[in-house]
Amino acid sequence: MKSAAAVQTQKPSTSASQRAKSYLKDNWQLYIMILPAVAYFIIFHYMPMYGIQIAFKDYKAVSGITGSEWVGLKHFKAFFNAYYFTRLLANTLILNIENLLIGFPIPVIMAIMLNQIKNDRIKRGIQTTIYVPYFISTVVLAGMLYIFLSPTSGIFNTVRQWFGLRAIDYMSSASAFRPIYIISSIWQGAGYSTILYIAALSGIDQALYEAAEIDGASIWQKIRYIDLPSILPTIMMVLVLDCGKLLNSNTEKALVMQTAGNIPKSDIIGVYVYNVGLGNAQFSYTAAIGLFINIINFILIISVNKISKKATDVGLF
Amino acid sequence: MSASAGMAVRKSKKRISKSDQVFHIVNTVLWIVIMFMILYPLYLVIIASVSDPDAIIRGEVVWHPVGISFRGYEAVFKYRELLRSYGNSIMYTFASVIISIFVTLLAAYVLSRPKFKGKALFNLFFIFTMFFGGGLIPTFLTMRDIGLYNTPWVIVLMGSVSVWNMMVARTFIQTSIPHSLYEASMIDGASHFSYFFKIVLPLSKTIIAVLAVYYGVSKWNDYFTGLVYLRDRNLYPLQTILREILATLQVDKSGDYMMSMMDNVESMVEATKVAQVAKYCIIVVATGPVVILYAFMQKYFEKGVMIGSLKG
Repeated sequence: MKSAAAVQTQKPSTSASQRAKSYLKDNWQLYIMILPAVAYFIIFHYMPMYGIQIAFKDYKAVSGITGSEWVGLKHFKAFFNAYYFTRLLANTLILNIENLLIGFPIPVIMAIMLNQIKNDRIKRGIQTTIYVPYFISTVVLAGMLYIFLSPTSGIFNTVRQWFGLRAIDYMSSASAFRPIYIISSIWQGAGYSTILYIAALSGIDQALYEAAEIDGASIWQKIRYIDLPSILPTIMMVLVLDCGKLLNSNTEKALVMQTAGNIPKSDIIGVYVYNVGLGNAQFSYTAAIGLFINIINFILIISVNKISKKATDVGLF
Repeated sequence: MSASAGMAVRKSKKRISKSDQVFHIVNTVLWIVIMFMILYPLYLVIIASVSDPDAIIRGEVVWHPVGISFRGYEAVFKYRELLRSYGNSIMYTFASVIISIFVTLLAAYVLSRPKFKGKALFNLFFIFTMFFGGGLIPTFLTMRDIGLYNTPWVIVLMGSVSVWNMMVARTFIQTSIPHSLYEASMIDGASHFSYFFKIVLPLSKTIIAVLAVYYGVSKWNDYFTGLVYLRDRNLYPLQTILREILATLQVDKSGDYMMSMMDNVESMVEATKVAQVAKYCIIVVATGPVVILYAFMQKYFEKGVMIGSLKG
């Protein structure tokens, strides 16, 4: 209707409530359109937040969330004093730190190297291929790990035996857990991150390269002075996001990789919450653990963002 | 002629420096190794799935199938619980993706409107959930309390809207659909509804393809939601059943697995061997559709991912 344009060009003698009415008349549909998304987050995200309070209560199913009685910090104290507290924390933290240290640079390197491939068809072929592992489910990936690392018929041990080495049951070994976890995570996720960096690299102004050519720069130099600075914002954004997740647990992956043998290292916080919270119905206790981790993550990501902004002027928000 | 053409000719005949040559060799080797490391495991699964069980155990299947045999696939297609969960997953994924695309695009459209009042509030409402949440246990209890536990709906709906995808879609709409189109439509008397359905949607094929792949793959591959929120084995999605076969070292709960391997087979030993091959076949059957979908959507998908990651 003409009204929108007409109202806006009128002199500012229209009152605030008249402007509001006119805005709503033209735009009420927007609020209906966003409703499904809002409803989704209320049901699946904000309603559960109401249930967080059981971390401070002794939840009993008969009393429900609201009816169960308050016990203050009892569960938190129990967690901090538990003999396994340090092990859980260490397993979770070390796994994520090692994963970050090794897994973070690899996609960056891959993107930079891929960007240097001149043949367009090969480049696109590679891009398509490195993305494929991303589509494999966690269960299938774990299944492949069990199969390939099997001490009786797995290809990995078959090759070991060609070289006269004995077969090892890797999936039952606690010391092998982290390497297997990290390597398989890289195998699966590197392609996805690489594409992210390639997108950033493709936005670099060609004139920069031409200028470098004229100055006689080698490829290594071009990478150092053009590529790296240009993708620094993207790198910092991903880094901040990853650092905020340092105490996160990829529960789904660790759970499916957990065997009786590797529990000392595979018991990360998320898996513990699943096993004890749902398995043993210790709802309040594990809800407290979950809340504790959530708060730490929150603080972590705000801090890392601040540091990133101070150091490189780039942050997530 | 030599002076002006000389510049052009000189550029194309430029000698590649030694260090650049080394770089290209290293790069080539690097990518050959990477391609091998990605493709070989997948290749191995495929050739093993059609190989003879004994050859696999003897470690003979390395570069090519040995003793072509389809007993693994035979057993898979007789495994009723697996087939049922496969059908479940098809329905869950289909329903979920349609809902996801619809809800996500609607919200993305709203958030892309420059004069949308309350935008900052809504943004905060959505983005906050990326950093803070109820956690597994409170969510579990909530689902029980509102009656979604042990229903197909909890699978279809949970995870059906992602803030990240919403933002990528919003960026897509902002950058790919010219604002002039919007202004012209408004002058013509269009409403938000009609503009969205008649103009935005048809122009959003790329982002719809991207969303379909992201949401679809995520739903198809999810085993955890079924594990936590379902009790009825009839409702289990594919990956939740797969977990019992591929990733737990105990005998599976249904007994159906070994039974189907037992068909046409003389002994328990034989059945166990067939079960080994069947694992490869199951992987192929479970992952095949996803890879095929990716191959088909490839064209739209790569373009969309680029747009999304550049600005999202």
